[in-house]
Amino acid sequence: MNEMMRTMAAAASGMAAQAARLRLGSENIANADTPGYHRKTVSFEQAFDGAHDVRSVVTGPVQLDQSELARTLDPTNPLAGKDGYVEGSNVDVLVEIADAREANRSYEANLKMFDQARQMASSLLDLIRR
Amino acid sequence: MDLNILSLASALASHASARQQVLAENVANADTPGYRARDIKPFSELVEEGPAFEARRTRPEHIGFGDELHGFEPEPSAEFGAETPNGNSVSLEDQMMRGAEVRQEHELAIGVYAKSLAILRSVVAAR
Repeated sequence: MNEMMRTMAAAASGMAAQAARLRLGSENIANADTPGYHRKTVSFEQAFDGAHDVRSVVTGPVQLDQSELARTLDPTNPLAGKDGYVEGSNVDVLVEIADAREANRSYEANLKMFDQARQMASSLLDLIRR
Repeated sequence: MDLNILSLASALASHASARQQVLAENVANADTPGYRARDIKPFSELVEEGPAFEARRTRPEHIGFGDELHGFEPEPSAEFGAETPNGNSVSLEDQMMRGAEVRQEHELAIGVYAKSLAILRSVVAAR
């Protein structure tokens, strides 16, 4: 029975991590046209959850992608620099969507594990009820 | 009636839940760089290996006792070709397959347990 709680704790940590990733992805897409925006990324790290005695996953600190910003020549733009170039964001919408799909898939897998643990626990409890 | 079947069924159920925990850890870490997938040996193998220790019975009056089985220690179980460039070896499809196995195992254990109890009950009721 205790293992079921641990299973659910592991699956919940996975869902929380994937949700954080999905949230950053949607922030990036929302800011795809914001001048000077650097895309946010987060790393996943394996953690040992002492409270539940389970190897869960946590998200690391949010980092900014330091790759170069997209530059377009537009001297009439009020945001243009001295050389006439405007700095956009370094968000690639296609990459963000692919990342969101992967997060979605992993989230569902975690949800399935959670649900299965719940069903196993409830069928175990049914034994007592008979 | 040999009541060994009840302890066997309960060992199978705890094997299934221990395994389910390891699988959930794998799935939670499906995108963690450098994480290696783990799994617990199948129940049949653990049963064949026999008990980890058992008390010696030098007289017939002695009551035997010992460990039922080896502990359910997780060990690395990487599916061939599942490794991604970031060193993660979890394949979600593989984990889902194993999850289905665990589910069947657990249902079997509970089914056998419930059935044995029902048989016991009908024996007692017949008296």
